[in-house]
Amino acid sequence: MGDSKPALQVDKLYFRYPSAAADSLWNVDIRALTLAADEQILLTGASGRGKSTLLYLIAGLIEPAGGTVSVAGQDIFAMRGSHRDLFRGTSIGMIFQTFNLLHGFSAIENVLAALLFSTIPPKEHAARAKKLLDQVGIDSPDREVTQLSIGQQQRVAVARAMATSPALVLADEPTASLDPENAEAAMELIQSTCRSVGAALLCTSHDPSMSARFARRESLDDLTSAAAQ
Amino acid sequence: MTDWTIIRRSMTSRRFSTVTTIITVAVAVGLMLTLLSMRDSGRKAFERGTGNMHLLVSNDSSPLVSVLDGIFYADPPARPILWSKYNELLATYPHEYAIPTQQGDSYLGLPVMATTPEFFTKFSPDANYDPSKSPDTQSASPWKLESGRFFNAPFEVVLGARAAREAGVHIGDTIELSHGTKMSSNRGTAAKPHIHSGFPYTIVGILKPTGSSHDRAVFTDLNSTCIIHAHERRLRDDPTITTTTQADLIDADRKITGIYLRLPTREGSNISPLLPTVASKLRADPTLTVAQPNKEIKSLFSIVSSIDQILIAMAAAVMVSSGIAIMLALYNSMEQRRRQIAVLRVLGCSKPRVFGLIVTESAIIGILGALAGLLIALLGTQLVATAMKQRLGLVVEPSFDLKPTAIILFASLTLASIAGVVPALMAYRTPVAKNLRPIG
Repeated sequence: MGDSKPALQVDKLYFRYPSAAADSLWNVDIRALTLAADEQILLTGASGRGKSTLLYLIAGLIEPAGGTVSVAGQDIFAMRGSHRDLFRGTSIGMIFQTFNLLHGFSAIENVLAALLFSTIPPKEHAARAKKLLDQVGIDSPDREVTQLSIGQQQRVAVARAMATSPALVLADEPTASLDPENAEAAMELIQSTCRSVGAALLCTSHDPSMSARFARRESLDDLTSAAAQ
Repeated sequence: MTDWTIIRRSMTSRRFSTVTTIITVAVAVGLMLTLLSMRDSGRKAFERGTGNMHLLVSNDSSPLVSVLDGIFYADPPARPILWSKYNELLATYPHEYAIPTQQGDSYLGLPVMATTPEFFTKFSPDANYDPSKSPDTQSASPWKLESGRFFNAPFEVVLGARAAREAGVHIGDTIELSHGTKMSSNRGTAAKPHIHSGFPYTIVGILKPTGSSHDRAVFTDLNSTCIIHAHERRLRDDPTITTTTQADLIDADRKITGIYLRLPTREGSNISPLLPTVASKLRADPTLTVAQPNKEIKSLFSIVSSIDQILIAMAAAVMVSSGIAIMLALYNSMEQRRRQIAVLRVLGCSKPRVFGLIVTESAIIGILGALAGLLIALLGTQLVATAMKQRLGLVVEPSFDLKPTAIILFASLTLASIAGVVPALMAYRTPVAKNLRPIG
């Protein structure tokens, strides 16, 4: 979006699950991670290493033990409660492996739901949602999402994540449930849509075939504080 | 897309659960409103039956029994008042009217009230009717005829509106009365009705409905009943006699069972200043039972009101149960909705807004239930009113006082909102990350 502020800046971020022993290793221990505006990065790591947890931390959905996360220059954890929720709704888009669409709602309602909790004026919602669905190739926006094919559901999920033109899109294993051909197409859609709305993309995956699609690739193990010592 | 869309989808996606919960609330609210409405309307209906008399004098076992028998035709009064006692009362106490009544006969199970023409000119089921004024100068109404005229000679009868309908008779028809009533057997007197054959009565009038117990009565001239009983007395002495007339009557034949008494009133008032004194003096006579019908109805309702209160408490308990039903329905749905709530949270829906969505859904169930309950109460009260009219002849006009109705509807809304708090707290505390993970 031409903003000089980084889309994401993570600094000394620590997290341990409440159920974990107090003297156990941190579940998330990130020394530093910066993502420029419009930049796309692939974050790799073995299953269970905390990739998803890191994304939830960045989205402000769980509280870290320490450290800071800034999205578009805003310190997520300096914000409290509803303020942080509103910021997430407006500035961060999320895409999941299982899409996490709202069942019982149509494709366009799923996109509209993302706009409902944002700062975007309501009068713009319908036009924005239609345009995005059209952009991702959904020609039946009023169909209930469970009546759509897996590929179409993926597209709706992408449109929903981009609805508010967020500064940052977090994609958590977005192609893990797709066959290689569809995975390639889905990733192409995610990356191109991010570019078109000017969003930075942080994508987690343990699929080696995705590596070639990203100019910047980071291994979670390399980002940890332990790796720096 | 609004918050309302989310709430509506949530409700329609669990249509069966939502509808059954709304029905539960509706039944509770309907029950409560029906009970309250019928309690007030029932009291008004009973008060309407006592009419414009001040005292009912009888020889019954208690004032309440006297009112139930002498006005509401529960049973024929068991003991008569001597004619001499009636004359003594007439001579001793000032009165606007002192109408003698005699019960004990029946026609096709309908109670017969033998009385004088004054019954129709001075007594009225309308408590506000002032017999000293012209009917044209007051809003309260006297008796009105649907057809025919009031009786003015022996062996003429006038039927109450419901009595005429039930008996299926018309003006000009002749009927024969029975001694005793079906109802008298209720008290174990085992009265076996026998027909006063040879004494046909001609129907001369049918009354308009009054909404009182008198609608199911058959009214006849007191002299005719006395003549029948005098004839039976004379037959026992001389089986050859064929006719008995008014001239053959002796005081012993003139047995009455009640006196409708209205004392002199002040101009523009239906209350008599003499009432306490006269009532007290009459009560001093051990052969008389003196009832103030209004007071007796009030005391009857004070007895019934304790049952009322139990019923209302039960209805309140049903309302609380309906609140619990809402809570359980939403609580159970939370398990299925955790993922949806987690997704809404990811999309930027704040915890208080999630809380608000669930409480609003609960409140909407409460509102819909309350409105459906109001509908049930409207139908329910009509059904009860119809049943009371058919069984007791009482015209109950169900009405819903604004204040208690508003309170109950508001209570339903409040209860439903409170019921939504526990599931809303569950939603509020839904761990987002945990519920976004792939299933399986």
